Amino acid sequence: MAADTFTQACRLGQALQGELVIDAHAHMGPWHNFHVPWNDARGMVERMAQLGMDMCVASPHIAIGPDCREGNRQVMAAAEEYPDRIVPYVTINPNYPEAETREEIGHWHSLGRIKAFKIHPACHSYKVDGPGYGPMFEYAREHALPVLSHSWAGDSQAGATLLSRMAGEMPNVTFIVGHAASSWSMIDEACKEARERDNVLLDLTGSQLLYMALEKMVERVGAAKILFGTDIPFIDPAPGLGRVLMARLPDDDKRQILGLNAKRVFGL
Amino acid sequence: MSALRFFDCNARIGRSSAPRPEHLLDPSGLLAEMDRAGLERALVYHTWSVEWDAKAGNDALHKEIAAEDRLYPCFAALPSATRELPPPREFAQQVRTLRGAVRLFPTQHQFALSEVSCGHLLDALSFERVPVLIDIGQTNWREVGEILARHPALNLIVLNTYYRIDRFLYPLLARFGNLYLESGSYGVHRGIEALCQRFGAERLVFGTDLPVHEVGGPMALVTYAPLPDADKQLIAGGNLCRLLGVCD
Repeated sequence: MAADTFTQACRLGQALQGELVIDAHAHMGPWHNFHVPWNDARGMVERMAQLGMDMCVASPHIAIGPDCREGNRQVMAAAEEYPDRIVPYVTINPNYPEAETREEIGHWHSLGRIKAFKIHPACHSYKVDGPGYGPMFEYAREHALPVLSHSWAGDSQAGATLLSRMAGEMPNVTFIVGHAASSWSMIDEACKEARERDNVLLDLTGSQLLYMALEKMVERVGAAKILFGTDIPFIDPAPGLGRVLMARLPDDDKRQILGLNAKRVFGL
Repeated sequence: MSALRFFDCNARIGRSSAPRPEHLLDPSGLLAEMDRAGLERALVYHTWSVEWDAKAGNDALHKEIAAEDRLYPCFAALPSATRELPPPREFAQQVRTLRGAVRLFPTQHQFALSEVSCGHLLDALSFERVPVLIDIGQTNWREVGEILARHPALNLIVLNTYYRIDRFLYPLLARFGNLYLESGSYGVHRGIEALCQRFGAERLVFGTDLPVHEVGGPMALVTYAPLPDADKQLIAGGNLCRLLGVCD
């Protein structure tokens, strides 16, 4: 694409052509405290097509909520229905017995379906370095898989600094810090950690698209360490996409952020 | 689709108490960003009117954008009892003459939205057909419904919402035809599409919250909405033009 074509596409509402767009932070299904129209896999895929988004890596809302096993089943079914569109995260809830976690991982391993893990220490009220996550990190280390963790400024369960410390202990596991652009304090903390650790990457998902935040993040850590993510369908993906498309960045930086980095990290 | 003509209902100028270094502070900075992003016009309020003094901020706004035909004034309003601003009818007429709007900051400015406090003001603004804007963080949905029940002719635009609001919003949109929602912060998945199916594209007004938030997100919500071009243009600018009584 010629320079500024990304911006022009956004202004005209045109789906990108010949560019790879992968959403590294997606969900699926309803959520308890608000209305989510067309929240199933079909509704998501329709929305992605409107926006020119090729793929998303998803963990259903029920997985980050009350039942990760049901969520894992849902996302695997969605990935079978839309194999070119939906990539499954395996989500772990650390509050259940270790044997159950090992069984869940073993089940999806036996089917060759584990590409990455998703954890939500805030929703599951469990600190990321607690023993309940042990079997998952053990598997992630053995297979050099990425782990996306929800994170937030001042997050006592999974702050960027804590995730980075763990990344230091597991150099072959890529730690994706969720919601790394959600506030200026989060940006400061996450960028500091991502600069220091090769295996810490930053996810852009969030509803607060702070003015010039993406440009500042690229300035601090480089485009290769930033992943496009939207929370679809928790949040509509258009704002997150529009933020990247219209950023004051070279086209090649936008390409890395929108899809090339995720392609590398998830081995797609 | 040809390029939409965007008219931002939610931008500001003026030095503020705690700006980010990259924030645009004056009309020229705002206009430069509007040019870069492809925004044609903006309804602008002044930071002084929020963080310091409503009257001084309104006066500064009027002076600073007087020569800018792409910027329209959004004046802060206060309850009339303390007489800090002109009497309601006079104030509303002045705003109407300037093709402007009014914004309320009841939390920041510490006043009640009750009929005792704001009844005269809202009557005058309704009579003059002056649109009233309010940030949901300055009020709540119950108060929004109460205001519209008491002032059914008032055109009220709710700003800076987010993606968890439909269960509050839909009953109010169904009941009150003069309730409008800023589109830029309405991050509900396929929310614009769903809302337009139920209530029509006339109920959404484009806004960005510049210079705190980016233009690209709010813009993409409109340009990528699966709507007829005419509906997209209503959201991008047509509805605000109609409410302000200016040409589209």
